[in-house]
Amino acid sequence: MQQVNDQMDSNAGATATHCPYCAFQCGMRISAAGKEIAVTGDAEFPVNKGALCIKGWTAAATLTHPERLTTPLARNESGVLVPVSWDAALDRVAQGFKDAQGAYGKDAAGIFGGGSLTNEKSYLLGKFARVALQTSNIDYNGRFCMSSAAAASIGSLGIDRGLPFPLADIAGAEVVLMTGSNSAETMPPLMQYFEEQRANGGMLIVADPRLTATASRADLHLRLTPGTDSALANGILHILMRDGRLDQDYIDARTEGFDHIKGTIATYWPERVERITGVPQRELERAARLLGEAGAAMVLTGRGTEQQAQGVNNVRSFINLALALGLIGRPNSGYGCLTGQGNGQGGREHGQKADQLPGYRRIDDPAARAHVAAVWGVDEARIPGPGKSAYEMLDSLGLEGGVMALLVMGSNVVVSAPNARHVVDRLRSLDFLAVSDFFRSETAELADVVLPAAQWAEEEGTMTNLEGRVIRRRRVTNPPADVRDDVSVICELAERLGEGRHFRYSGAEEIFHELGRASAGGPADYAGITYAKIDANNGVFWPCPDADHAGTPRMFVDGFPTASGRARFHAVRHGSPAEEPDADYPLYLTTGRNLAQYQSGTQTRRVEELTSMTPLPLAEIHPATASRYQLEEGSGVTLVTRRGAANFNVKVTRGIREDTVFVPFHWGGVQAANRLTNPALDPTSRMPEFKVCAVRIEAALRSNDKGE
Amino acid sequence: MTEKQKLVVIGNGMAGARFVEETVAMGGRDLYDITVIGEERCGNYNRILLSSVLSGSHAPDDIFINPLDWYEENGVALHAGVRVIGVDRKGKMAYGQGGVLIPYDKLVIATGSSAFVPPMDGLYDEDGSYKAGAFVFRTLEDCTEIIEYAGDTKRAAVIGGGLLGLEAAKGLMNRGLQVDVIHLTGWLMETQLDPMSGQFLQQSLEELGVTFHLEKLTTAVMGDEKVTGLQFKDGNTLDCDMVVVSAGVRPNVDLARMAGLHVRRGILVNDSMACRNDQDIYAIGECAEHRSQVYGLVAPLWEQARVLAERLTGHDEDALYAGSRISTKLKVMGVELAVAGDKDPLEADDEVVTYVEPNRNVYKKVIVREGKVKGAILLGDGLAIPRVLQAFDRQEPLPDNRSELLFPLVDILGPAVKVEDLPDEAQICDCNGVTKGRIVVAVRSGNRDVKSVCAATRAGSGCGSCTAQVQALVDLEGENVAADAGDLDRYVPGIALTKPELTGAIKAMKLRSAAAVLEALSEGAADAQAEAGLEFLLREIWGETEEYERDTLIEESSVFATVTTWPSGDARAVSVAVGASQGYR
Repeated sequence: MQQVNDQMDSNAGATATHCPYCAFQCGMRISAAGKEIAVTGDAEFPVNKGALCIKGWTAAATLTHPERLTTPLARNESGVLVPVSWDAALDRVAQGFKDAQGAYGKDAAGIFGGGSLTNEKSYLLGKFARVALQTSNIDYNGRFCMSSAAAASIGSLGIDRGLPFPLADIAGAEVVLMTGSNSAETMPPLMQYFEEQRANGGMLIVADPRLTATASRADLHLRLTPGTDSALANGILHILMRDGRLDQDYIDARTEGFDHIKGTIATYWPERVERITGVPQRELERAARLLGEAGAAMVLTGRGTEQQAQGVNNVRSFINLALALGLIGRPNSGYGCLTGQGNGQGGREHGQKADQLPGYRRIDDPAARAHVAAVWGVDEARIPGPGKSAYEMLDSLGLEGGVMALLVMGSNVVVSAPNARHVVDRLRSLDFLAVSDFFRSETAELADVVLPAAQWAEEEGTMTNLEGRVIRRRRVTNPPADVRDDVSVICELAERLGEGRHFRYSGAEEIFHELGRASAGGPADYAGITYAKIDANNGVFWPCPDADHAGTPRMFVDGFPTASGRARFHAVRHGSPAEEPDADYPLYLTTGRNLAQYQSGTQTRRVEELTSMTPLPLAEIHPATASRYQLEEGSGVTLVTRRGAANFNVKVTRGIREDTVFVPFHWGGVQAANRLTNPALDPTSRMPEFKVCAVRIEAALRSNDKGE
Repeated sequence: MTEKQKLVVIGNGMAGARFVEETVAMGGRDLYDITVIGEERCGNYNRILLSSVLSGSHAPDDIFINPLDWYEENGVALHAGVRVIGVDRKGKMAYGQGGVLIPYDKLVIATGSSAFVPPMDGLYDEDGSYKAGAFVFRTLEDCTEIIEYAGDTKRAAVIGGGLLGLEAAKGLMNRGLQVDVIHLTGWLMETQLDPMSGQFLQQSLEELGVTFHLEKLTTAVMGDEKVTGLQFKDGNTLDCDMVVVSAGVRPNVDLARMAGLHVRRGILVNDSMACRNDQDIYAIGECAEHRSQVYGLVAPLWEQARVLAERLTGHDEDALYAGSRISTKLKVMGVELAVAGDKDPLEADDEVVTYVEPNRNVYKKVIVREGKVKGAILLGDGLAIPRVLQAFDRQEPLPDNRSELLFPLVDILGPAVKVEDLPDEAQICDCNGVTKGRIVVAVRSGNRDVKSVCAATRAGSGCGSCTAQVQALVDLEGENVAADAGDLDRYVPGIALTKPELTGAIKAMKLRSAAAVLEALSEGAADAQAEAGLEFLLREIWGETEEYERDTLIEESSVFATVTTWPSGDARAVSVAVGASQGYR
């Protein structure tokens, strides 16, 4: 690595900022000379240490892309989106909200945010919903990412910070168990820590139905049946309990509820777990032995484990494992979740969620409401209660009691929400839809008003990376003339809604100060973080309650922020996925991401270098299954579920289970994987079951199904 | 609100307690006052793990599923250590030993089964209890007594070479005893195995130190005060200090029979688990007979418990139990054996797929009917087990190539492939999607060390894990280039590529100007002749109408930097090639 890093220093002096994509938030140096913008990895930023993946290297391409929106658009009388002035566009958005709220009540206005928005925007969007619109209906696409891990962590550990330890700890872990994450493709620069870990003699265990790029680097790959994660965790814990490898001193001193899970764990003996998970008993035993013998070990979960109707229980079962081994709060050890979206961490902390206020406070907590109302200078009674979760909000659009006027900011729900065709129907039945984005995304195509937004390198603000490190996003270049920052859009709309006095700021830093005050005393306490402190320290880990506080790289060292100060075990009995294969839909379908694409693809599908690497969505199918359906490499297939059908090209690979088909979800229209996925929700987190449903393969492309 | 009904469960074992747990989880306490009567004095434990307790792998405390305080915490009344001696169906009352009277509205019988003990002389003391040193192996109490007695003895016999008997034998061996297994028929586990697999299993267990005596009928237990040996029908004898009888089980149906319920081998129930002649009484578990099947495995029991709980709680009033496909594994560390369904073909068209390897005692046999697994014996290869059992459980269509089923390609990557053997389209750098072909081109273009290859291709600029492979390619291709240098037909001076190679490289790297080509590919200083040739080639590649750029590199950025220009040419063009298989060589 070092020799590569030397190269990257050549661009010292360029502006330091961070990649627009995933939660790893690689440090970048960017120089702009006219319209030419050059990107290199920032060797001085301690997280990526100069590394970038192909998405990062090509990130600047979206800034000057010819398809970029450069003026507001509004639908004219013939139903065509045409350029309009900002005043006209904003007036129309404000009127759309007023009309809906006048006719149906306050909750008829809805906001759908995103996990790519800065902390400042996430905070402001939440405040806008509660103060300017006074609606309870605000949620965001992070509900589709982080909500299961968040709910489980809060329930078990008292707080949710993706990695409660610095990334550098990974390198010192003797054993890491990673479940449901393909970070070698989704977060490639992270892998340097695993390389280091393995160079130190450490072992990596990966649990995934696929032999992913990540799993193929592992010392042990547990190829579990989709939807059986908690059975796997319970099974490993059973073996550890059997073999007397638990840390009883830790269990006694730092946890509660262990006796209540022992009975459940007793029902997950290895032979049974082998039957449920399909993981050979010998491999279960080996995984348990590796974890049990390690002095320092880590359990990390990703979306594969979390995006299920049992996602919260799945994560709880892995936290149980980490607690029983005494890992949490110790160096180079613990439980963590690998956050996905760029600001998936900060985006879930500052009031963009239906049930939350800034600082990761609960909106139904009277003390939290009083605190935030005081910061906002409003009457506490004016702050609405909890609203609908993301999919439930989308499912309510245009229906009685549902949202009638919606603003979508930083999300492409037509591609990223489950049961996508239904979501399109619901969006079409809205009285009014406004979308703020850089491009005419699939969702923007349905909008009444489209607002062109400034991009990452054109704005100031903060992001919080997967380890809870708050970092600066810096402006490198100005947006095109008629493109505005979302912050100014929100403030302008508030003016038009008669609440402008609460939304006047000199810039992002002032919003951050207010966010800090609003978060003070909450679980995610940013009160002691300033831009200057971030600049001086390569980021600051929250919680950081006051100016003298250095931040908290490692949490849970002395205790857990629960009522008793102890972490809690939760008995988890695994259950079947909401939909299992049957005669009509005989295979499992699971979804995920490719290296060269990101999320709904709004950005990456427009970057030529990325699309040339991964031009089409490929359905990964085992050769035995392919042969049964007479499919060959490159064949066109239609996959059909109870929700809909979508088209893919076949990639034949032994890397997938025979009973499972994998598809990436970065594409729209008839290639949208989420036309297939099941919107069954986790009862606690309201996370949809993206990662498992039942599917049928139809060989011939159905030409009559043109999609949306 | 109407008064709660009284739901009474007789039996606190694997089926009864599971039913109670499911009922509580489904909100059954809103509908019922729940009472459980269990003959054992403890809470509910996992009977499946008794052999693990015997072998010493599990502590007795670790096998409890519902300890006594579970019942209290969940508002379930438990009578532990009470045997039910009668049921009055007219008066809707269960009678327990010691004068316990328990009225019911709904009664669930889950009395399980008991060890079957074949007749033999000398097994019992005068008071009717087993002679010292003689045991059955059915309950946790049996188990702890066996463990205690085994501590002072050297040699144990196990009567019965079935699943449980073999597990008991191995368990006793783990405790340091010499163990003999006495079995009535010609091969072990004869209800689940065919003769050859039975023989292989025997050999596997013999290798672990167990001794077998087949086709032996035990007629007497010898010893006055305590067990000293066994007497067989053929006249032979065997010395031993203790004997464990594990010759099968019999459903506990006496209570039901006395109450006038219809009983054949088990208590007859329909798909709703209700007794044939009393719709307020249900039977689940090993005491129930459903569609002529009496199940002795946990999965069917739990399924029955769930169905009944769903019906009685109204969670799913129409839930039905349709029977189970049964399969099981032998829990003996060091011997991997799974059996499922039929052990032999039943119909003329049945396919029998077998693989036999006597040297390692590996035996795999799958019975296929109508393209589905109807039976399987898998011995000696644990990695093959999950796939076959899942195919059996789900009755999923099988691959035409049946060997796919028997030989899972566990290490599907095979041994590490040398980088020289990889095809050009193989991806070397995962982070940046750099193929071997691109790296080779970079080396051939004059990048002779890892640093410059990485700079030219971005390989290694993510996690860095491919650096060793890049180094190998640099070494390998460097030699090739040196060897080829003499006869290489270069298209332009300064770039060690033929025209097809150069064309491929320009396309792959999307180079649009002569300067960019030289920057990426040239070995040394630029040359006016080369530029002219490149301009011509670029026009040929990208076309006249296409805007290819001249010299747009900013000074600061090396090729490492991304250079984006506006308009950026054919950004919307989407290649439809599947896979990035462009050979450059």
